[in-house]
Amino acid sequence: MTETNPVVLVVDDEVQIRRFLRAGLELDGFSVQDAETGADALRWATLKPPDLVILDLGLPDMDGSEVLERLRAWSSVPLIVLSVRSNEAEKVRLLESGADDYVVKPFGMAELLARAHAAMRRQVRVSSGEPVVKVGPLTIDLAARIVTINGARVMLTPKEYRLLQLLAQHAGNVVTHQFLLKEVWGSPHLHDTHYLRIFVRKLRQKIEVDPTQPRILLTELGVGYRLVSPEGAVAAAN
Amino acid sequence: MVGMDVVRRELRGSLIALAMVAVTTVVVYGLTQSLEVRRGSVIYLLPVLLAGWHLGLIPALVAAVAGVLWSGYFFFSPYYSFYLSRPNEILNLLLFMVVAGVTSHLANSMKKQTELAKKREKEMGDLYAFSRRLAGASSAADIYLAIEEHLASLVQRKVVLFGAGSDRDAKPEQEALSQRVHAAIAEVQAGRTAATTVDDGAGDIWLVRRVSQKNADFGVIAIDLGSVPAGAIDEVRQRVNDLLSDAAATLERLDVARALNDAKMRSETELLREALIGSVSHELRTPLASILGAATVLSKSALIGKDERLTSLTGVVRDEAERLNNDIQNLLDATRISREQIRPRQEWIEPQDIVNAALERRRRRLSGHQVSLDMDSNLPFIYVDPVLVEQAFGQIVDNAAKYSPPGSPITVAAKRNGHDVVLSVHDEGAGLTAQENAHVGERFFRGPRHATTTSGSGLGLWIAKAFVSANGGKIEAASAGADRGATVSIHLPFATPASQPEVGPDD
Repeated sequence: MTETNPVVLVVDDEVQIRRFLRAGLELDGFSVQDAETGADALRWATLKPPDLVILDLGLPDMDGSEVLERLRAWSSVPLIVLSVRSNEAEKVRLLESGADDYVVKPFGMAELLARAHAAMRRQVRVSSGEPVVKVGPLTIDLAARIVTINGARVMLTPKEYRLLQLLAQHAGNVVTHQFLLKEVWGSPHLHDTHYLRIFVRKLRQKIEVDPTQPRILLTELGVGYRLVSPEGAVAAAN
Repeated sequence: MVGMDVVRRELRGSLIALAMVAVTTVVVYGLTQSLEVRRGSVIYLLPVLLAGWHLGLIPALVAAVAGVLWSGYFFFSPYYSFYLSRPNEILNLLLFMVVAGVTSHLANSMKKQTELAKKREKEMGDLYAFSRRLAGASSAADIYLAIEEHLASLVQRKVVLFGAGSDRDAKPEQEALSQRVHAAIAEVQAGRTAATTVDDGAGDIWLVRRVSQKNADFGVIAIDLGSVPAGAIDEVRQRVNDLLSDAAATLERLDVARALNDAKMRSETELLREALIGSVSHELRTPLASILGAATVLSKSALIGKDERLTSLTGVVRDEAERLNNDIQNLLDATRISREQIRPRQEWIEPQDIVNAALERRRRRLSGHQVSLDMDSNLPFIYVDPVLVEQAFGQIVDNAAKYSPPGSPITVAAKRNGHDVVLSVHDEGAGLTAQENAHVGERFFRGPRHATTTSGSGLGLWIAKAFVSANGGKIEAASAGADRGATVSIHLPFATPASQPEVGPDD
């Protein structure tokens, strides 16, 4: 591994999980740093600031969410949480406290990599100021506020555009209902999920080939929405 | 005080009796004047009977005397005088008085018997309710509460019961007792004394004793005797003790001790089960996550990718790990359902989103079938827990894939039907016989035809049913018969158009 490889900090107390993650991530060109405990993870994050963190929630010394909070106090490193199924409320809480995305155990490597790359690309986009997000046939020019599909201009209302803009900024990663509601409608409407449903339906009618089978704007049940990333298609096929 | 009451009651009864005699007299007067009736003294028995039945002995005697006097006035010479001279009249008087005595006595004993019967009936009813509560109690605390209420209704006083052993959470009634009562309870609980009375400092005397002198399991009871004068305390105490020893005998007979033990056992089993499930979910799923993750890494390696056979092997590892994971999920869900821990988090959702998520998650498993979709484009929103409904729908999709031959078509539809949104899965597989259809969705039910050919636990559809009904919907299965395919559908009511969510402001 050369110094130019991106560094990923894998925080998990299960040795077998660390082993396959290491293999999969190294095959993908990452340089892997392991941490078995929360304390270990925080220490490595300071010693050798990683380009990506993969964080398991069940750690022997402290709760994963505590590691997340302490890390987020000073770092905006892209972070993916390894979560267990059927606890949507917990996923939402972790996303709200700064996780970029999650994968549910058991998960495939491709799915994890797609989420991780999306989160890292967002980081690059924010720092470089690159204004154009391309998702399949859809192009969103955040600077010019222009949306096109295969080059043809799509007309959106201000709220529809705002919604798409937020999803585009996080392209490939999930965005919670609460975040979208707060950003588009304001804090008083934090629980009016139905606003979101109605606007997403309208938006899909404008950007999807078949709005009943969306390929671009996906629903994460009980959590939020996700604009697919190019890798999303790879993950789904794998 | 009591004496005065009796006098007043008898006086009132006697006045009513006299009034009845007066009414009779008016009637008799009318008869003698208009019809020249000369015999009819027996009519004066009427007020005597009535008074005897309803008012008691003394009013009946009053009615008898008055009636004899008036009958002498009308029917015996010298007419129109109250003078009793004839032996007939003396005989009448005696007869009337005997009737008065017999009637009032009969009435009295009848009343007593009725009251007794009513009391017995109530006691039996209470006892029956009590024994049913004992049988249905799921914890020792429930049983103690039942005993407490039973004893309170029995002794007709305020009682506070302390269970055997330490109460982890004291009830407010227990905490409200004064220090002195608590001290007495501690004495009895420690077995230093069997029973004691104590003044709570606010003027009430409390009797504190074991519910049963033989069986400490029934706990210690504190009974508020109220403000009892020092002289009467032994009498009140004796009466309560008698009631309690009856109650203790009842508790013995109903085998309360065993019920208490069972309840304790149950809560321990529950704890054990919880711990077991917690560890199963962790201990089994962690290695599964490694197996599945490792398989996906292997499938990407260039070495394995060169050999078709090896690639398919990594696919096998992955599919089987996923299947095992599903089975574990089913077990966990089944436990959640039996413990009534399903709490839907409902929100407005597009029905297609649920269908799409379920299909997406099963993309690999469905790849061997021709899946076609038939979804209405403008379905109403439904207010459900999308995660639970997705799991239920996914289960139905899994079954369709499992019980139909590879390559056969599966049609997934989302339609509106009246006030329901219907999500359905149609396959051209094994179908259902009428008999299978009658049992489909029952816990652990599996069609005997599939016992040796297709693996399964018989939990899937049962779980799906529970999840759907937690969201106010139902599951229906239809089939033309064995090997003629099946359609299984989830029916979810949507709110009427008026209560569909409003469009938010769009500026």
